[in-house]
Amino acid sequence: MMEWVRLSASAVLLFLGLLIFLAAAVGVNKFKKALNRIHAAALGDTLGILFMTLGLVVWKGISFASFKLLLVVLFFWLASPVAGHMISRLEVMTDEDLGEIEVEHREDI
Amino acid sequence: MSAELIYQGILMGCMVVLAVLILVSIIRSVRGPKTADRIIAVNMIGTMTIVIIAILSVYMKEDYLTDVCLIYAMVSFLAVVVLTKVYTGVYRERKEREKEEKKE
Amino acid sequence: MSRLRKDYETSRFRRFEKWVDGEAAPPEFRMETKAPLKRIPPEELSGPRLNEEKINAEVYDERHNKELKIFQVVNKFASVALCVTLIGVLLWTVIYLPEFGNPDNPTNNEVAARYIEKGVEETGATNFVTGMILDYRAFDTFGESCVLFIAATCVQVLMRLDNSDDRKKMKKKQAEENDRIYEPKNDLILQKVSCVLVPLLFIFGIYIILNGHLSPGGGFSGGAIIGSGLILYLNAFGFKKTERFFTEKTFRRITLAALTFYCLAKSYSFFTGANHLESGIPLGTPGAILSSGLILPLNICVGLVVACTMYAFYTLFRKGGM
Repeated sequence: MMEWVRLSASAVLLFLGLLIFLAAAVGVNKFKKALNRIHAAALGDTLGILFMTLGLVVWKGISFASFKLLLVVLFFWLASPVAGHMISRLEVMTDEDLGEIEVEHREDI
Repeated sequence: MSAELIYQGILMGCMVVLAVLILVSIIRSVRGPKTADRIIAVNMIGTMTIVIIAILSVYMKEDYLTDVCLIYAMVSFLAVVVLTKVYTGVYRERKEREKEEKKE
Repeated sequence: MSRLRKDYETSRFRRFEKWVDGEAAPPEFRMETKAPLKRIPPEELSGPRLNEEKINAEVYDERHNKELKIFQVVNKFASVALCVTLIGVLLWTVIYLPEFGNPDNPTNNEVAARYIEKGVEETGATNFVTGMILDYRAFDTFGESCVLFIAATCVQVLMRLDNSDDRKKMKKKQAEENDRIYEPKNDLILQKVSCVLVPLLFIFGIYIILNGHLSPGGGFSGGAIIGSGLILYLNAFGFKKTERFFTEKTFRRITLAALTFYCLAKSYSFFTGANHLESGIPLGTPGAILSSGLILPLNICVGLVVACTMYAFYTLFRKGGM
């Protein structure tokens, strides 16, 4: 009985995670400018990986390996926004025609 | 039909869907007109690979594959940091050189 | 602070230090190999300047050289033909190899069977791949660590800028080679996050090195992670702050110490053959961290060499020095 409850909870979480990754991939392809694509790609980095990892942890139970999977999520939440910041800074500094986006140029950043 | 077998089927389905999404991202990384698009696509491929490895570690019941996940997350983050730095430097140097040539 | 002795320059430790740093010649440690830097005053430097381009254009006359043109055409075809021939020969050899997984393969002999059967109890390592490369075949792994060190040294020989006596010329040379002037530096967000992530990377690398004999990992992968931690610190903070704790001298001393320890621990089998002495360290229970004899210290040595080599390659290709 407990097994079926765990199975259904884990399956629901995995399915939600897949939907979010699907939305992220579709978004990266559909948007036109690079700065908009960063918004779509960040979906997968934050919520997608959380739901999929929670689904796996629910099935596996509390153990050393599931703690390590949660550590992966923690590392990702720290590192992925910085990666997005570096990419958007690259885009702003090297883009010729940004359109109507206002950019503040500061020399020390 | 035990719960184990159904769960292994679900995990296999998830891995197949993620592999298809990786192929879609590869198309974007080849097409994208600017460098930033390509870096975004490669970052997403890395994220989806990490999820596939985590699913594999539950599917094959081997615990050491979670170490591999963590390593790959670190390496992909480091790659993005170094790539953006180098490309910004190259672009700016090219611009300075063009400006100097225009002045002469 | 203690005072330096009057005979510090000729004392044994100072001579050993000079040998390690490459400033004195073996075996007597008394001959200096690097001449001390002389400062030439600037008025002596300006002489008649030779026009190098004109001289080169007269001596190496490339436009009227028929043989050079023939060579350039033949070279393209010959290189493609050589590559195709090599590929063909190697592929033809592969056809004659035995099938993968065949039980009659020459690799499935009694040596492999002995490793698998008695690996855990003779080496004490649960991960008996590590037991094999660091206990049964430790000498081969020593060769691999030496190859890493030699590679870093060769790249350093090729890439560094020669010291010249003139400060201004040296600065101009460095400025020309420096293609990092235009890069964005000192990003505040990256610095604050690196303060959290770099210790995490170091601790994870140390965890993987220490667990080499219990789970997949070991010296090579752990060293690569520590190297990438150092590279992240360098990217966030710049060269000046990293040189406060990791300079060229640090690189030399760490690699020398690690390789010497490895050499003293395992290379006597080169002379005594297969009957080597048992090391005095007990094997312990398989599955605990402090087990399996010499494998743990050797993992640490290999990890240090790999980390230093990775960092050395990165800075040599970016800056031309360390």
